[in-house]
Formats: sequence, structure tokens, C-alpha cells
Amino acid sequence: MTDINTIPQRPVPEKSRVATPFWNAMRENKFLIQKCNSCKNYVFYPRIRCPHCFSDNLDWEEASGKGTVYSYTTVLNNAPSGFINEMPYTVAIIRLAEGVQMLSNIVGCDPHEVECDMPVEVVFEKLNDEVTLPKFKPAKT
Amino acid sequence: MNKLRGKVAVVGIGEVPTGRYPELDCMDYLVESSYQAVQDAGIDKDEIDFVIPCGTVYFQGFNSDLITSRIVEELGLKRVRNNAQVFSGGATSATMLKIAGSLIYAGEAKNVLCVHADKLGTGLTGQAGIDLFAYAGIHREWEVPFGQHYSAIAGLSLTRYMHETGTTDEHIAAVQVSNRKWAELNPNAMFRKPLTIEEVLKSKMLSTPLRAKQSNMLADGGSAFIVTEAQRAKDLTEKPVYLLGGGSRVTHYSISQEKDITRFGYADAAREAFQQAQLSPGDIDIAELYDSYPIYELIALEELGFVGRGEGGQFFLDGNTWPGGKLPVTTNGGMSSQGHTGGGGGVAILVEAIRQLMGKAGQRQAKGARFAAVSATGGTYMDAHVEILGTEIP
Repeated sequence: MTDINTIPQRPVPEKSRVATPFWNAMRENKFLIQKCNSCKNYVFYPRIRCPHCFSDNLDWEEASGKGTVYSYTTVLNNAPSGFINEMPYTVAIIRLAEGVQMLSNIVGCDPHEVECDMPVEVVFEKLNDEVTLPKFKPAKT
Repeated sequence: MNKLRGKVAVVGIGEVPTGRYPELDCMDYLVESSYQAVQDAGIDKDEIDFVIPCGTVYFQGFNSDLITSRIVEELGLKRVRNNAQVFSGGATSATMLKIAGSLIYAGEAKNVLCVHADKLGTGLTGQAGIDLFAYAGIHREWEVPFGQHYSAIAGLSLTRYMHETGTTDEHIAAVQVSNRKWAELNPNAMFRKPLTIEEVLKSKMLSTPLRAKQSNMLADGGSAFIVTEAQRAKDLTEKPVYLLGGGSRVTHYSISQEKDITRFGYADAAREAFQQAQLSPGDIDIAELYDSYPIYELIALEELGFVGRGEGGQFFLDGNTWPGGKLPVTTNGGMSSQGHTGGGGGVAILVEAIRQLMGKAGQRQAKGARFAAVSATGGTYMDAHVEILGTEIP
């Protein structure tokens, strides 16, 4: 048996300066992504300059929170220390409706129900007072 | 890279057995690999004028030693003008070779020692190894908090690849079985016992659909090679191994930012490499494809143009890649059977290509091998490298 007291805490995001508005909004259960005012492309994860046109004229917009599962995997063994207690958990690459990709976890369903290209929507998982993470569950049809 | 075609060659290789050797120091692997490479090249050690140590991962302090010329001092190299680390994770084999070649072509160096050693097998405990690879090359803000790590990354690529191509678990297992058949013949490999598809499929699930026996195993090990100018190479050895072509693409840092985690930049890299070499996949005698996990070896086989998309699994299953097969693939057993020594996993695969072309591969020698294609990738498959090597300049 693994001693619960020796298991390290789940890692929290090492927050970047540029993503401050994202993490602040997360605490209020709002999902913001950047949009470039110059080339009008959506940008995720938050960047200092637009990865498409190199402009620094980036604004924040509330995302639809909808997307599809590009790919997924359920971790059953050999997880990193901070996630041993979380197994089984499902890691997925989500393609947001805005055309950007992000890593997250699929929650709120049996891992066997997850499929490629499945529609999902954002849910907010509060880790502590400082950090809320965007996770995804199967979208209501 | 066009300019390098046929201008530089590898003239010597060295390698220590990969495995778990708690009684040995990392410096043992470095010195022995370098010594073997110098002996193999038939040069005086003091002819080495440029040392390129690959990065070592198990202990940052040791890596600092390498950055600050420790290998030059330990080997007593008297005429070294530059010691400069090159490190692109698993792709370092390709970047070291390319940089060494460019320095020689530009006249900045004559004989370059490229060397790698790591102690990932005994320098870290099992869980520390998993934890190291839950951070190395993984975004600490956007991926680490979701439990990302390398087995999960392989799981993500497998899921999507199988979804798009209809490739089965049995096909994927066949890649590892092929690697093991080569490792059985490789005295430097960590795992040499025969392995069946059934055994692979019965092993415990790590990150679906990736199983334990499809995973690499962290290991101690080291290897080295010496690059020199082509004319000089001909005087040193009957079979210099020329660099004929190379291509590469950096596509991402975070795997979640990659648009196609079942292809990456291999097709573009391969097109460049084959064009420069003036060869096509049909001319290649051996394909030394970087695995770390079998799915990436399978992707490389297809994207380099040896088989069509989705046909790779059956190609492995039919034994085409085995000893005696149509196209010997990853003939040292890859990182999944020879062992994963960090950046050195790729160096070992490159050294194996050179060994085969030199005709020094012993029991696993592919008869009459003249041209080899070598792939490499680092981090979370952040880049795709293809090098074409040959014993003659076509």
C-alpha cells in the first residue's frame, strides 16, 4: 500500500505573467482565450506575441468552452508521483471550436466512453483558492 | 546541408553495453566509448580538435562537468580548440552529426569527437525516472498540471493513429517483437530474451493503449563517433561512412500544440534528405528508425516513404523488418530493447547505422548494406530528423 502521507501534492501550474488574465478568470469559472487584433486569429496557450503575425496586440475573449477530443489516453499505471492517487485519469488533447488545441482531462464519464472526435464542453475544477483548471466532459447532445 | 553531401564521413565508433551497472561511473562509459571510437578510427587521440558532448540527464552536476570540458581533461586530449555541448534531447544524434560536419566543411575543425553517456538506469530510482519524464520537455503551465508524462504522450499518439488507420494492437506489438529479434543478436542490448506478440499484449496497461512491454526501459550506457573530412577518411579506413543527405523540421514544444501527432514533420524531413542524397527509399538497405516507443518507429517507417500510411503494422507483422527480412529496421533493438539512455538512445541508433555500413555488426550484420536512413526525434517528438548515410557517394 502506498502511504498517503508520502505522496507529493498534485503539481499546480507554474503561472506565467502573460497568462495572468486567464488564471484570474478561471477562479471565476470563466474561460478566456487570446484573440489577435491584427490577424484576428485565436491563440492558445497565451502568448506574448501572436504566433501567426508576431503582433503584440492581443486581447482576451471568453471562449465557447466547446470542442472535440483530438486524442485521449487513460493512465492506469506508472503515473507521475503527484497523480498516483488520481488513477485512473484520462488525458486528452482538445480541439476547441475556436481552432486552437489544449491539453486537459476528460471528467464526468467512464473512461471507456471517451472516443476520438467526441464533442466535449468545459467544466471548472477548483484545485485550491489560487488555481482552477479547465477540464472537459462529454457535451450534452 | 546540400554542400555537405559526401564531404564528411564517420570513421570510428564506440559503445559500451546498455543496462544497469551500479558499480560503474558515468565517466567509465564516456571514456570507454571515446577510447573505442579513437581506436576504431585509427587516429591519435591528440588529433581530436573539437569535442561535442551530448547532454546528460540523470544528474545536472555531471552535465555541467561536460559543458566545462571535463571529458577533454579526463581523456588528456592535448590539441582541442573547442568543447561545446550540443543537446536536442533524443535528436542529438542528428544535430551533433550535422554540426560536426558543418564545422569540418567550414575548416573550423578536422576531427570531431561526438560522445554521449548517461546513467538513467541506476542513477535514478524507478519512480524518480517516471517523475523526471513528467517534466522534461513538458510544459509546466499547460501540461504538467493535467498529469502529462511520456507514456501518456505515446498513448495519445497511439489512440489517434489507430483511430485513423485501423491499425491493431497486434500490429503495434509486432514493432516491439521485431526490435527484440535484433536485440537478441546484440551483445550491447539490455533485453535479449525472445518476446512474442502474446507476451506484449498480456503485459500491464500503462496509458491506454500503451502496455508495459511496449515501453522503453531507462538504462545506463554510452556511445561515441568520430567525424572527419571525406578525403582524410579514405586514407583512414576502407569503408568511411559518408553523410549523404539530411532533412529536419521542428514542429512544436508541447505535444498538445502539434496539429498531427500521428505524422509530425517526418515527410518533409525525408523529402529533403533523399533529395540531397540523390536516393529514394527503394535504394535504402537498412532503416535505423528512432523508437523510444514503437508507435514512433512505425510512424517514421511510413512517413519516410518505405510503406504507405497505415501499412507499417502489417509490414512489421509479416517479418519484413526482421533479421534476414526485406528491410532491416532498427537493428540494435531500439530504445525499447537495447535500452533508453536519454539523449543517447538516438546516438546508439545512429552508431548502429554506421556499424552496419562499416560491416561491423557481427551476428546481426545486414549483408552488403551500402545505404542507410536514420531517423531521430527529441523531447515530446518536437522535431523530425532524417539522415542518409552511405559507404559510397551516389
